[in-house]
Amino acid sequence: MDVILGITTANEVIVITSRAFVRGVSILKADDKDKTRILSPHTMMAFTGESGDTVQFAEFIQANIQLHEMRNAVELSPSAITSFLRNQLATSLRSRKPYNVNVLVAGYDEAKGKPELNWVDYLSAKVSVPYAAHGYAAYYTLSLLDRWHRTDLTLEEGLKVAEMCVAELKKRLPIDFKGVDIKVVDKDGIRTEKVIE
Amino acid sequence: MSDPSSINGGAIVAMVGKDCVAIACDMRLGMQALTVSNDFPKIYQYNNTFIGLAGLATDVLTLSEVFRYKVNMYNLREERDIEPETFANLVSSTLYEKRFGPYFVGPIVAGINSKTGKPYICGFDLIGCINFAKDFVVGGTTSHQLFGMCESLWEPDLEPEDLFETISQALMNAQDRDAMSGAGGLVYIITKDKIVKRLLKTRQD
Amino acid sequence: MSRRYDSRTTIFSPEGRLYQVEYALEAISHAGTSIGILAKDGIVLAAERKVTSKLLEQDTSAEKLYTINENMICAVAGLNSDASILVNYARVYSQDYLKLYNEEIPCEALVRRVCDLKQGYTQHGGLRPFGVSFIYAGWDPIYDFQLYQSNPSGNYGGWKATSVGANNATAQTLLKQDYKEDCTLQEAGELAMKVLSKTMDATTLTSEKVEFATVGKDKEGKVYCHLWKPAEIDVLLKKFGLAKKVEDEDDE
Repeated sequence: MDVILGITTANEVIVITSRAFVRGVSILKADDKDKTRILSPHTMMAFTGESGDTVQFAEFIQANIQLHEMRNAVELSPSAITSFLRNQLATSLRSRKPYNVNVLVAGYDEAKGKPELNWVDYLSAKVSVPYAAHGYAAYYTLSLLDRWHRTDLTLEEGLKVAEMCVAELKKRLPIDFKGVDIKVVDKDGIRTEKVIE
Repeated sequence: MSDPSSINGGAIVAMVGKDCVAIACDMRLGMQALTVSNDFPKIYQYNNTFIGLAGLATDVLTLSEVFRYKVNMYNLREERDIEPETFANLVSSTLYEKRFGPYFVGPIVAGINSKTGKPYICGFDLIGCINFAKDFVVGGTTSHQLFGMCESLWEPDLEPEDLFETISQALMNAQDRDAMSGAGGLVYIITKDKIVKRLLKTRQD
Repeated sequence: MSRRYDSRTTIFSPEGRLYQVEYALEAISHAGTSIGILAKDGIVLAAERKVTSKLLEQDTSAEKLYTINENMICAVAGLNSDASILVNYARVYSQDYLKLYNEEIPCEALVRRVCDLKQGYTQHGGLRPFGVSFIYAGWDPIYDFQLYQSNPSGNYGGWKATSVGANNATAQTLLKQDYKEDCTLQEAGELAMKVLSKTMDATTLTSEKVEFATVGKDKEGKVYCHLWKPAEIDVLLKKFGLAKKVEDEDDE
C-alpha cells in the first residue's frame, strides 16, 4: 500500500513517497522518511516491497555505488547506476531467496543535462519513463499523469500535478498513508521540496 | 496469469522477402493488464543481424546484454562480423545452457548473410530449439494472432517496400486483438546494403 | 650469489630489488619498438614488427596492436604469448563492465585493473611476472583522449608521447625533441613514423615491418579506433617519404 511516485519535468525529477510505515493493516509509524536512499550526488532511489528486503537491498546498492565512486573518483550517471541495480536484482531473482523490491531511480544526468527516471520492478524489468509509480498508486495516478504530464513542465507545474495525484490517492486508497514527502532531483542535487501532511 | 512469459506482453514477427528480410515488434511494457511504458522496443541489432526478444522483460534485457557481450567478443577474436546463421546457433546454445532454469523468452533472428546474400530468419523456443522458416516466424503473447495475419497476408518474393507494408499490417492488426501488446510498432527492413528502421504509430490502449 | 634472490618473484634482494621484474623489463627491451603519441584530436600508435624469417606465414591480423573495446586500443612490447593473455583479460573485463553498467569502461579503470593483475604476479609466489609492457590509447567522456603506459611491475602512468621496446631511450629522446603540445593527428602520425624509422635497424619502412593505428573522432564526432591495413600503411609511408625508394625484389 506504499505510495511511490516519480514525475520528470523539463529540468528535474519529482519523487513522492508516502510517510506511513505499514505492516499488514496497522500503521506503525506516521512520519517515515525512509523509503528513499541517496545513491550519488545526483541520483536517488525510492523503493517498496517486502520490508527488510527493501532497506537491505537499497543500502547494498548505495554502498556499492559509493565504493565505485571512491575507487574511480567519478560520479556514475543515473543510467549506469540503474543498470548496476538491475543487474544485482536480476542476479538475485534466480537465487534461492530473491529480493522482493520495486524501485524507482531518479537522477539528473549532468553530461546530458537532462533529468531521468527509471522504473524497475522486483523481476528486474527496467524501463526509462517520463512518469511512473509502483503498487496500487499506479492504478490511480497513471491515468492522471497520462492526461496532465508534459515533457516541458516547470517545477511549479510538476508539483501541481504531483499534488493532484496525492489528492486522488487520499480519496481512493483504503488506508490513510499519512501524507507524503516530495523530493526533487535537479542539477544542484537532491533536496526535500515539501511535505504534505 | 503468473505464467512468466505472459506477464509483460509483447509481439514480434519476422518475414522473408525477395533478397530482403523484415523484423518487427510492438512497443509495450506491461505488468499484467497495466501498461507501464510505451517505449520498450524488443529488437536488438548485432552487426547486421537482428534479434527480436519477446517474453519476460527482465530476461529480454539480460539476454540483450549477454548477446552484446558475446558478439563483441566474437568480433574481437574473429576480426569480422557475425553472420545470422552463426548468431542463431549462439542464441540456441546460450538458451540451452539454462535448460533447467530457462530464460522465459521466445527469440526470433533475422538477417542477410553477407557472403551469400541469402535472407535468413528463424525462431526459438525458450530452451533454444531452432525453428527454421522459409516464410515467416512469430513470437510473444500475440503469436496466435500473428500466425493468422501472416498466413493470410504473406506471399513469396515481396520487394522491400511491399514487405514493409505486409509486416506492418500483420503486426498492427494482430496486436489490436491482444491486450498484452501494442502501444506502437517498430519495423526494420533489411536488404544487403541498407537497413531501414520505421516507427509505427498505433492506438495507445 | 644472486641466484638466492632471483629464482622467486616474491623475494626482495638485499639491495631492495625484485630481480624477476627487472629481467622481465630486460626481455621487453629486446622487443620491437612501440610508440604512442597524443595529439589534440586523437592518438597514434605505431609498432615495429620483427620479421624473423621470410618463410614465416604473414598473419593477416595485427601482431602488436590490439583492439580492446569500442574506444580503446593498445600496443604491446614483450612476450606476445603473455600479451595475448592480458589482452583477452582486458577485453573480457571491458565487456563485463559494459554489461554491468551499460556504459563503456573509463580508460583508466581498465588500465588500473590490468595493472593490478600484473602486480599480483610480482608478489604472489611461484610464478613469473608478465613480460609485457603496454601502451594504451583510448577515449572516454571524462578525460577525453588518453595515453597510458604500463610495465611488468604493474606501474602505469599517463603520457603525451611515449615508447617501449628496443631503443626506447633513443625514441624517447627523439619524441622529447620533436613533440609539440597541440599537434594534430596527422602530425603525430608523421612523427611516430619518423621516430620509428630511426630506431629500427632497417633503413626503409614497409607495411611488413610496421603496424599503425589511430584513435580519433569522425565527422559526426563519434570516436573510432582504426588499425591500419597493410595497403593503407604503404600509402601513408609513401606520403611521409619513408617507403622504399626503388623496388628491390630480393631485399630482405
